Order: sequence, then structure tokens, then C-alpha cells
Amino acid sequence: MRGPIPALIALVPASLAINAFAAEYLTIPQAQKAMFPTAERFIDAQLSLTDEQRKKIKELSGTRQRETQQVWRAEKGGELLGWFIVDDVVGKHEFITYALALTPDGAVNALDILVYRETYGYQIRESQWRDHFRGRTVADSFKLDDGIPNITGATLSCRNVSNGVKRLLALHQVVLRAHA
Amino acid sequence: MNAQVMRRLRPLFGTYVEVGVTGADNDAIESAFDVMTIVHREMSFHDATSELSRINRAQGEWIRVSLHTRRVLRLARAMMRASEGLFDCTVGGELIERGCLPQHDSSPHARSGAANDIEINGSLVRVRGDIRITLDGIAKGYGIDMGIRALRRCGVSAGWINAGGDLRAFGEIALPVYRRESDGALSGLGGIKDAAVATSATHASGAERYPGVIVSSQRDVPKQGIWTVVAHTAWRADALTKVAALAGSADRSSIVQRLGGRLVEERVAA
Repeated sequence: MRGPIPALIALVPASLAINAFAAEYLTIPQAQKAMFPTAERFIDAQLSLTDEQRKKIKELSGTRQRETQQVWRAEKGGELLGWFIVDDVVGKHEFITYALALTPDGAVNALDILVYRETYGYQIRESQWRDHFRGRTVADSFKLDDGIPNITGATLSCRNVSNGVKRLLALHQVVLRAHA
Repeated sequence: MNAQVMRRLRPLFGTYVEVGVTGADNDAIESAFDVMTIVHREMSFHDATSELSRINRAQGEWIRVSLHTRRVLRLARAMMRASEGLFDCTVGGELIERGCLPQHDSSPHARSGAANDIEINGSLVRVRGDIRITLDGIAKGYGIDMGIRALRRCGVSAGWINAGGDLRAFGEIALPVYRRESDGALSGLGGIKDAAVATSATHASGAERYPGVIVSSQRDVPKQGIWTVVAHTAWRADALTKVAALAGSADRSSIVQRLGGRLVEERVAA
């Protein structure tokens, strides 16, 4: 132990009257560049999945797959470097947008949260999440970006994102692998 | 905060971990996540292939483990002794019985043990065969401390790491810290500067949203309470929240202080 035990420093404000907050860490282009720094271009390969494909993905991963998925091919000189996928996971208390980078073989290369949104003390349905954040309007009770409260305690489980990754790995197996 | 800041958020330690630095330094942030990933992998109870799981199924045999794992075991054992069992890393069996932790093998396990049941000799470790060590909170705190060290080694002058509510800041910043009180209000605790803070809570009705269990082989766990500790290091702050939760209310503050932490009492709105 070095020196006297640290103490909290008095700061204002004393409390926060917020119900939820959102924090953006990376934009899609920023994440693309960070995850595939040598890529020359990212080709939009957005997927519209068939019922058959969605059924197989659900069987493999245990999680329901939506009808569409935002996917890009990271390419250099015509060669596929890997897949860049953007996904949303919606829980009762959180709504998280993240990016996943896969190798052409479907191994995870990188993962970063793009936007993190959490509520406090109440549960929220997916449609309400989308309503609140459509056009990124800020309601009175929401605090956006700067001055994000650093909250001690209250650990939120990352299970939803972990399940999302499993689902995207299944999606690669069912749909993307054939397009390498 | 006027200085430019770079932050990244990733899932790790079963929660979300934010690394922030002043300036813009991708490599430093990656370096912090790299070491935290190693710590998580080596000490995960859930992962049957982790070093911790190897220790737990070694059936009393000596096995070789890596430096990080040895360090955390030493810290855990020392804290268990110093706190006279209020901090107890041998309660894995108890948590398995309650369904809070997975059971990886069918051999019999004791609900808990003693500090002397953990032996460390150089890079070799031996634990009494029927004990299940759990390092969850303290390993996360240690991971944060290693992450901070990585940031510093990369030349970052100020930054922080927030691993699901265990926080540590370093350099010329005062990180404002909030805590959710039992009535749901977010209270501002103040700022931390070159310090770590951790909070454990016990809930009367079991918390679906924030799973986290405190158990003790020695005493009744308080039904409801929020325990926040400030310390130099994240491993110590985290370990001391468990001590705070289980110490009797009469000497809670002084016990935590004796062990190197500062207890921040629960705040109830007037």
C-alpha cells in the first residue's frame, strides 16, 4: 500500500435525475478502419435472410435471427480480408449496437461496442428503445454522451452480446462462408 | 473534461469494460484489453479450461500455473487471513450448491475451506482436493490493476478503467463516481483520483438484473445493503466490499480501514 488510503473528492452535482443514458464509442466508419486497417474498401453486403436460413441459425445458436443483417466485405486488391458485421442486441435494460470483425473462415478478430444505451429502474421494450433514439433526439430524462455517469456497483451482465456473437458465428457458417 | 479523451467498451469479465485515456492512443487501449483478456481467461470459474478450473479439479495435486494466477491466489489467501475469513475465496462449493456457479466435475466438493488449504511454491500451486476456489471479484479487480499498468507503460498520462462498476483512475483526472442507492436514486459519491472504488450489494429479493452473490461460511449475510470501498488498487477495493458486507455493523468501518480501504456508507434520501 502506498501512502494514506485515498478518499473521495467532493464534486458537484450530488445526484443525477436521469432514467437512462446513451454513449457512442465509435461510428461505423471508425470501427471499420480500426478493425481492418489495411482494407481499401468496404462493400455493402447487407443480408436479407430466408426463413430456412434463419431457422438454421436459430438451431445452431439458440437465438432468433432477424430478417436483415448489416454486413460489409472488407477488401484489399479484390481479396476478401474479412467480414464486418453490425448488430443490435436488445435487453430489458439495455440496447447495444456493436461491431464484429470475422476472418474469412469465421473466426472472431475483433469486437467493439459502438453505442451503449441503458435504462435505470425500469424495463423497456424494443419498440420503445427505437422510438426514444430515433433521430437521436434527447428526451429530458436522457443524458447523451459527454458527462456519462461512471457508476460503481450494479454490474450488468454481457450475456446478450455474447449470445449475439454466437448467433453471428452461426450466420457466418450458414450464409457467409460460401461467399468467401 | 476539456482534454481529448478516447474510450472503448467491450464485453469482458461477464460484464462491460470501458477503458478511457486522455489523448488518443489505440495501442495503449488494446494493450490494456489484452492483459485483461488474459486475466479473465486464466481465472474464469465458468470456463472449464481456465487455469482456475485446472486448479479446482487437480484433486490435491501440485500443478504449475502462470504468474497472474499465482499473484491473485496470493492476494486472495492473504486477504482471507487478514480479514479472518470475512473475505473467503474457498466458497466455490457453496456457490455451486446454490446454483450460482457451474459444476464442472462430479467429484465431491466441500462448501468452503481454510486459507491454509491453499499452498503456493514458486510457480506450483496446490489446493485441498475437495475445495473449489472462486476468484471472481478479486480477479476482475486485479485485471483492472494490470490494465492500468499497461496504460501507464504505454505512456498514457491519465485514464481510467470501469469493469462493470469496479473503477480505477490514474493521473491528473478526478473521475466523478455515482452509485445507485437502494431507492433507485443515483447519488454522486464524489470523485476518485489515483484511486479505485468498488461496490457490492446484497438484495433481499435476489437481483435478476445484477447477479452477484455474497456468501459466508461463518456468518449470516446481511439481507440488504450497499457496500462501497475506496482503496489504492481495484483488487483490494473489490475484496473489501465483501469484507464490508459481512462485518458486523459495529466495527465495519474500522475493519475495512485496517485492511487498507475506506468504506462509503449507504445514502438514504431524507
